[in-house]
Amino acid sequence: MTVIAHQASVAAAAAIRRRTSRQRKRAFLRVAEQLVLVLLAVIILFPIVWMVMTAFKSPRDVYVYTMWFQPTLENFSEVFNPRWRIREKIINSIVISVTTVIIAMPIAVFAAYAFSRLAFPMKRAMFQWILLTQFIPAVTIVLPFYVMFRQLGLLDTYAALIIVDLAIVLPYAIWTIKGFIDAIPLETEEAAIVDGAGRFRVLWDIVVPMARPGILTAAIFCFIITWNEFLFGYLLSRQNVVPLSVGIVGFVLERGPVWELIAATGIIITIPMFFFAMMIQRHFTKGMNLGAVR
Amino acid sequence: MAGVQFKRVSKRWGDFVGVRDLDLIVEDKEFLVLLGPSGCGKTTTMRMVAGLEEPSGGEIWIGEDMVNDMTPRERDVAMVFQNYGLYPHMSVRDNIGYPLKIRGLSKAEIIRMVDAAAAKVELGPYLDRKPGQLSGGQRQRVALARSLVRTPRVFLMDEPLSNLDAKLRVVMRAELKHLHHELQITTIYVTHDQMEAMTLATRIAVMNHGVIQQLAAPEVIYNDPANLFVAGFIGSPSMNLMSGKLADGTFHAAGLTVSGIGGGTRDNVVLGVRPEDVTVTATGSGLFDAPVYAFELTGESVLVTVTVAGKQIAARADRHFRCQIGDNVGVRFDAARTYLFDATTDERIRL
Repeated sequence: MTVIAHQASVAAAAAIRRRTSRQRKRAFLRVAEQLVLVLLAVIILFPIVWMVMTAFKSPRDVYVYTMWFQPTLENFSEVFNPRWRIREKIINSIVISVTTVIIAMPIAVFAAYAFSRLAFPMKRAMFQWILLTQFIPAVTIVLPFYVMFRQLGLLDTYAALIIVDLAIVLPYAIWTIKGFIDAIPLETEEAAIVDGAGRFRVLWDIVVPMARPGILTAAIFCFIITWNEFLFGYLLSRQNVVPLSVGIVGFVLERGPVWELIAATGIIITIPMFFFAMMIQRHFTKGMNLGAVR
Repeated sequence: MAGVQFKRVSKRWGDFVGVRDLDLIVEDKEFLVLLGPSGCGKTTTMRMVAGLEEPSGGEIWIGEDMVNDMTPRERDVAMVFQNYGLYPHMSVRDNIGYPLKIRGLSKAEIIRMVDAAAAKVELGPYLDRKPGQLSGGQRQRVALARSLVRTPRVFLMDEPLSNLDAKLRVVMRAELKHLHHELQITTIYVTHDQMEAMTLATRIAVMNHGVIQQLAAPEVIYNDPANLFVAGFIGSPSMNLMSGKLADGTFHAAGLTVSGIGGGTRDNVVLGVRPEDVTVTATGSGLFDAPVYAFELTGESVLVTVTVAGKQIAARADRHFRCQIGDNVGVRFDAARTYLFDATTDERIRL
């Protein structure tokens, strides 16, 4: 009797030990997970923190690694000193990005609709080619582009940069918007057709409003891509249409880079991105609520 | 207002034949139901009238117009879709008014007509809502109101009730019938539900494999089926079909003989009798005795299924009739209430 009781208690103790060891293991995994996340966050956030801090440092603090310094707005007022021509470059970037988006969106909507709903020869192949253009490294084609635009006399013009940006942005926009158009029930469009709408009417009254979250998302991403575009902006502009992203290079002087001005300009470049990130978030949730009606 | 005429209309996709050489005249003001299993070509037929599908051959006429080359808008038809096809980003009012807006009517006129259409289907209080905020039945009403707001020449309805729950379906069915009576607009209605077909139709066209099997009034379809397909498709539970042979006016099948079936002699026939024409009696007093396989109460009657030589035969009995599974019962039916079919051609043999 006692032997049996003893055996039972031994077994119970072993079970408890097993359970606690399992719990310990789980706790360890959780801590490890957190550590990895923190590490990743540090790696990703460090450059941003550095940029923000440097932007508010006075020149003599820049090379000092400290969290404690006298913050100053001097760099921002210096950046806008006419000799750096930053105001002009901001306008250039706005003109290039906004024009690109305004031209790209209607084209992308038409193309996406065609790829989604219409039947035409080579449809699949063409759709894949559009994606393939995205795989070509920009550096490999930037020189031919340079030569081409020089021949056309378009170097250092808005037209050149907008054309190039359209080529960069359109495949992405078409793919994104097509995904949203695919999700619209065909029945909704057919209902409009029977109600008397023609193709363009269907597109404007039904497809565009229903794909609105996708179109807005694509538009915002396209804006961000053109806003941040550097390589083509650097090679195809001289002085008239230098975009803001390229403007940073202007702070690399003979005596070396002026880090505090580069950082301040970096913040100016980044500000619109924050607003867009918030807009995208809001639109995505709205888009999900809208849904389709069965 | 106008009738619809199909002249040798066909629809093929590659080798697949959706609709084969269809000849059909839908009379003005008629409620024609296209009935059949899925894939029988009924929806394709309807979509060709709407202009959503182009016929591979033949002509479609609406009233005095050959519409093959007309846009859906020029055809002036309205359609109610299975999933309603509402515009989720528009209010109910804008949904209903959309066909009018496209036709360029004035704002005041649109408001007046939308109000009238909404009143017909009792949607008045919901005009400012979005379709997503409505129940299934209300969405269905929006789709209806949108189709009747402009008084089209032809109504097309593609399984409009199939997404509703059973109770609501019965209510909406009556509403549809009433609306058709009130508006007197030619209607083509697609369904696979025989109850809907029987209750709504002026005439039913039973389709299978892209061909009309029988075109007739509901009572004719039910009481005088043209072939085995129609006989088996219409009726619930479906008609009892027994394979056997006919010898001198007597039908012989495993486990039973029925005399008085005409006077001919032929092999390979199928004898059909509806469950409501089969009577359950005391043992020894019927055509044959058989054990009860299943006994089901339906409320207004009971269903008794018996097994004869491995085949089941269903009978509808009085609602007060009771028996147990395994009981032996007698089964009787009147030769005059049976249907004879050729088992090779599936065609009805008229006696």
